[in-house]
Amino acid sequence: MSDVFALVLLPHLKVQNANAISGPLTWGFPSPTAFAGFAHALERKFAAELDEGFAGVGIICHHFEPQVFQPPGRRTQVFRLTRNPVGKDGGTLALVEEGRAHMEVSLVIAVRDYKSDGDGKDLAERLHHAAQGMRLAGGSLLHQAGKRYQAQWWPLAGDVEGDARIFRRLRRRLLPGFALVQRDDLLAGHLDEMRATQPDSNALDALLDLSRLNIEPVVSQADEADAPVKWEIRRKPGWLVPLPIGYGGISPLYAPGEVENARDAATPFRFVESLYSLGEWVSPHRLNDLSQLLWTQETDAANGIYRCINRYSESLANFKEQQNG
Amino acid sequence: MGVSPRIRFQQVSLSSFQQRSVQMTEPSNSLAPPGSVASIKATIHAFLQERLQPKLEKLKPEEDEQRQTLLQDYLPANWIPDAARRVGQIQQVTHALKFTHPDARGSSLSVAGNPAVGEEIVGTHTVAQRLVPDVVGNAAALDVYKFLRLSVGGKTILDLAATADPALAAAFSDDADLAQTLMAAFASLTEAKGQPASNKLAKQVYWPIEGQSYHLLAPLFPTSLVHGLWKRIREDRFSDEAKAARDARRNGLAHPHGYCEYPNVAIQNFGGTKPQNISQLNSERYGENYLLPSLPPNWKSAEVRAPLAVNSVFDRIFGSRPRVRELVRILKEFLVSVEHAGTNIRIRDKRAELAGLIRDEAFQYAAELRQLEPGWSALPECLLNGAEQCWLDPERAEQDTDFASLRQRGDWQDEICRRFGNWLNARLTTPCTPMGAVEAAHWRDVLDDEMRMMRDEVADDE
Repeated sequence: MSDVFALVLLPHLKVQNANAISGPLTWGFPSPTAFAGFAHALERKFAAELDEGFAGVGIICHHFEPQVFQPPGRRTQVFRLTRNPVGKDGGTLALVEEGRAHMEVSLVIAVRDYKSDGDGKDLAERLHHAAQGMRLAGGSLLHQAGKRYQAQWWPLAGDVEGDARIFRRLRRRLLPGFALVQRDDLLAGHLDEMRATQPDSNALDALLDLSRLNIEPVVSQADEADAPVKWEIRRKPGWLVPLPIGYGGISPLYAPGEVENARDAATPFRFVESLYSLGEWVSPHRLNDLSQLLWTQETDAANGIYRCINRYSESLANFKEQQNG
Repeated sequence: MGVSPRIRFQQVSLSSFQQRSVQMTEPSNSLAPPGSVASIKATIHAFLQERLQPKLEKLKPEEDEQRQTLLQDYLPANWIPDAARRVGQIQQVTHALKFTHPDARGSSLSVAGNPAVGEEIVGTHTVAQRLVPDVVGNAAALDVYKFLRLSVGGKTILDLAATADPALAAAFSDDADLAQTLMAAFASLTEAKGQPASNKLAKQVYWPIEGQSYHLLAPLFPTSLVHGLWKRIREDRFSDEAKAARDARRNGLAHPHGYCEYPNVAIQNFGGTKPQNISQLNSERYGENYLLPSLPPNWKSAEVRAPLAVNSVFDRIFGSRPRVRELVRILKEFLVSVEHAGTNIRIRDKRAELAGLIRDEAFQYAAELRQLEPGWSALPECLLNGAEQCWLDPERAEQDTDFASLRQRGDWQDEICRRFGNWLNARLTTPCTPMGAVEAAHWRDVLDDEMRMMRDEVADDE
């Protein structure tokens, strides 16, 4: 990440009532798009003093408390709902189920612009202040006093070794907690494995297979016929989760104003659906470099693809190559 | 993106519906060759009679006038034009708006996803070949939908209308113009009604693109994609096959296949007591949607407490954390499974990965304890050994000079690594899973590597 000058750490942000329904197929931690959008909104507020802007945002979760309930005798969770104000005629309104969660997250924002130490620290504090007035994944940020919660400015060294040293120090500040990274490589690998035996498998089959417990009888060459058969849970070692990573267009891009009731009449409009990939929660000291931590937004407007991208697996492959080579 | 890709999407979606319809059964009462005018007429007649009979039976003997009206209404020449008028009240879709909010009015779409996304990312395009279409709109017009899904000669009436099939035209009416109008009306079932529209109750997201500008994205609910997944999960949870496999496991018996569990799936409900108000498939799903968990590992973490009553944290406290127990079990199972497999790069990588994950947990645990008020290890009731005190309560050094100099010496770091290694080794070598000499030697190498990394990390902490 040679174009990054410094990192801003917004440590231990306490968020109340963040959206816990991250898409039509998943619940739990908010989508990376919510964090990328938050960083983008923050960047816009400081557009006057940031010529080059941000190069991505890292997401670390320290604490997560979903507002869910497991009804007795059930094996599924339901959302704790709120009682909303009644309509004009005093009747109850249509119930739209919303999932909520309280969480404590740290964000690492990569800044491209050069700042002196003093200016940088000042910028970090003002970014933190501005962030507290904003919504993060639909939730509100609670003000926290104390050294632990102060924004930090981490200028990088500008050379590989120095950056690595600084990144190692930063990683430890993110403990205890887990960083969210993308594992599209594992999803693709698992799809290949499944296709070896079931050629018509698709990415949804692979994602589902990695998101559940598969319990299978152990095929043994046992000699005793009456011995009880052992059953085994096929386990995955990493903490893998299905993850909404952006949107795919399902309509042409309409010219501004062409679609009725759009939020404004100056922006092109497109109907989309959520796209899914595989994510992993990793301990921060697993990360070898900054690029493995950051999420960025990327757009392929011609094909209608709007994605959040994290390069964990790409760097992982490079890193392994270096170690072996 | 222009207009053409949309047309392409619709072609994709149509072809997938055709594939589906092949599986539908032919009505047995048709003696005419399939697809002929006579067989279409017979199918339509049978469908209308089936709907008419219950209505006639409800009438009292004296209600002759109503009877005549009903008989008139259900003549194909009257019913089909009426259906063609009412088809405007419903729409066949794959992506519906009303799941976002039941009062939202605006466009829903029938699109088999965006194939440009590629097969390694999941979206509607992933299951384009098996999409089940949904219907939104006025539930009173659903009979029209059932009519259009009737199968004749391997195609639905909707398919035939969309291709302006001459046999269907002849079956509809002798008046060619009228028949064309009717078919065109039915073929519009998959088209969005009116001008493209969103709603203030719908989601609309600003997405930044190059050059300081934005696209406004309106996510629609992929009801067809969700339906496939919902059915799949239900089968895995409740089907007879799954139950048989569960029983077999409970009784320790062999079984041709295993089963799946979906821990922590959440249920989101749409439409309250009237799921039909949202869509037809929503009604078939009882208004439920299954959501897969995307939770961080620490979502059920217990409160952190200082480890006072133990000499070492590894055995009882750290070792009994659920995630640590699970990882140790996975590692143990793995070591047993490869015991006679010698060694290769895959085994080495996997072993190192698992050992590394357990080491990660040790760092997480240490970091959690460091959030406690410093100095807890100085309490008289604290029985923890000196090395672990140095590791887990570092900030005590700021108030305690003796402790600070003990920490300064640094040999506690080797001690931590030794204790961690001993603990893990003891966990893995049990009477049930004795470790062979060769395996044990490999394992020591892995552990040595891990310990070196752990020592660097612990030393680098200062």
